[in-house]
Amino acid sequence: MIKRVLYILSIVALVIGAAGFYDRITFGHQHANYGSYVVWGLWVAMYLFFVGVAGGCFMLASLDVLFHVKLFKGVGKIALWTALVSLGAGLLSIWVDLGHMERIWKVFLEGNSYSVMWQLVWGYTLFAVVLVASIWLAVKSPASKLLTYLMGAGLFLAIFLSGASGALLGVQVARPFWHSGLFPVQIPIYSLASGVAVLLIIIGLFGDKSNPRRGQLLRVLAISAVVLQAAKLYFVWAEMSQAAYGNLEPNIEPIRQVLFGDYWWAFWILQLGLGSIVPIIVLLQPRWSKTGTIAALMGVFMLLGFAVTRANIVFPALTIPELEALESAFSGPHLQFTYFPSLMEWAVTIGTVGLATLGFLIGKDFLGLMDADTPQEVQA
Amino acid sequence: MSTQADSIKGDSARRDFLRALAGVTGAAVAFSELSAIAAQAQDTDVESTAVAASGASEALTSTDHASALERMRADLERALRKPAEERHWVMVIDLRKCVGCQACTISCVAENHLPPGVVYRPVLEEEIGTYPNVARRFLPRPCMQCDQPPCVPVCPVNATYKTVDGIVTIDYDQCIGCRYCISACPYGARTFDFGDTYNQNAPEAEGLIVGKAKATEYEEATNFEYGEPRKREHDVSPIGNVRKCHFCMHRVKNGMLPACVTTCIGTATFFGDANDPESLVAELIGNPNVMRLKEELGTEPRVYYLT
Repeated sequence: MIKRVLYILSIVALVIGAAGFYDRITFGHQHANYGSYVVWGLWVAMYLFFVGVAGGCFMLASLDVLFHVKLFKGVGKIALWTALVSLGAGLLSIWVDLGHMERIWKVFLEGNSYSVMWQLVWGYTLFAVVLVASIWLAVKSPASKLLTYLMGAGLFLAIFLSGASGALLGVQVARPFWHSGLFPVQIPIYSLASGVAVLLIIIGLFGDKSNPRRGQLLRVLAISAVVLQAAKLYFVWAEMSQAAYGNLEPNIEPIRQVLFGDYWWAFWILQLGLGSIVPIIVLLQPRWSKTGTIAALMGVFMLLGFAVTRANIVFPALTIPELEALESAFSGPHLQFTYFPSLMEWAVTIGTVGLATLGFLIGKDFLGLMDADTPQEVQA
Repeated sequence: MSTQADSIKGDSARRDFLRALAGVTGAAVAFSELSAIAAQAQDTDVESTAVAASGASEALTSTDHASALERMRADLERALRKPAEERHWVMVIDLRKCVGCQACTISCVAENHLPPGVVYRPVLEEEIGTYPNVARRFLPRPCMQCDQPPCVPVCPVNATYKTVDGIVTIDYDQCIGCRYCISACPYGARTFDFGDTYNQNAPEAEGLIVGKAKATEYEEATNFEYGEPRKREHDVSPIGNVRKCHFCMHRVKNGMLPACVTTCIGTATFFGDANDPESLVAELIGNPNVMRLKEELGTEPRVYYLT
């Protein structure tokens, strides 16, 4: 039943996405609400979110494929596949954000290795190659030594690239809100937590209820989720309190916007409430955390919270004028310091989510990536 | 200051003419009166040139404007005779003379055929104080052409770089439009070309609404930024690229001052080679009342403000 609903939702999302992609290709960036001041919008936030999920899924896959932790036996392949699908969604999100999509090859052949963006493009390309090769070997030759090396390299990339996506923002001296050493540290934690959330959904929805290892795995994932959520809340506190303590306008204004601005609900309700507090409370209950649908729902809430977290990192820093009175100095389209995604941006993102979900389902149902050792089919 | 006065040939010719005229008439009274006028004219010239050089906030005449422009043109010619790596282009903006007319902004838009939403040199207006003690301040903000530009190292494809004479340049055919450089600029000096046009929503009705075709023709006219002729066409660079002020290098290389300099009605904007000690800009940035924006970031801007 749930599988059928997910297929239908994915296809509906793809249809909506097709309209968005058509608009994007035909009219370029004209119908986007980001501009020359709030220069990055929903797609960049979603890129950071998706690559975070990819990194997190790989980290968890390594528990099975690389470290052979018994409890995680069987989840490796589907976690790797989810990482690949999510990475694809992330790269698609950032690709459509480019002004000249057709010139992406220049990053590979005519690039500037000093740029963090260049490093990320190369890093994620390498990561994609490692992922594909790892999935292939995990299916065809799971005992291969090469698989161990690949997983080791992939684990390093998953952690390092998550940090680098934090550095993408952190290196920017022009944005005091971003220019903090915390980003490269906290983003890998967010990635790992996102991976845990994805596994809560996968095992919660598709795990075999008769398998006792499933309940145990859900419980471990739930405890991990709670610990990681606590770490996340600590990072949010550290980031905000440090910035607020200095009481400097460029630092404090983005925080004010996040907490009390037009989109206060995104922080209080989605990021903090549904994204962190509710999952912590629910997943701390042993019975609820072992109930598949509840665990999966908490996984969805956590993912929603992490997507909003990325948005709350990216947008507010860009809504602060670099120079006072810049906003009123010249008027024109795309010259505002406020931002809410346009319909076209939402449509593209919905389509990307639909594509990722469909990709996951195809891998699960048709590529045999959730078979043999997965908790659902291991006999007690 | 006398050196500056001597360099103004046109005004000297006028004084010579007055003196010669006085000699021909031979009338002692007339001669003495004309001499007085000539002397007054000479004093005014010296004074007005000093105004242009020192940035004093006294009332300006058209002579001051012309003399400053002529001097900058002469400076420019000298600079262009030097190898490019020996030039150090800078811009000096006298905030006490800026009246906030935005002529520089408009001339920049016209010169570079800028579409809606793209601006290279806005003039920031601030009100200071509370009524009745209120003042207004205008701050023209071109690209700072930083010597340590934060926008350059972040570019993943080397599309933005510093030329040998220090101008931060964008290669439109290389730029992928990721906008990383925009977020890295501490001055908000870069904008993205979203492909908008002034006519995009204009109504059309044959015989009833006229002018759209002509206006479109103007919008699509070739622009010559970076010395490369480009027509504005759908999805073709610079659409989809980041754009910024380049000190009108396409004009400068041809011996013309940047558009914002020539159109400034208050003679508040100066341009030239700071490596030339004889240049007007070299004199101006030697003043103690010089400041640069956000110096604490270490970006070493090449735009100086006189306050």
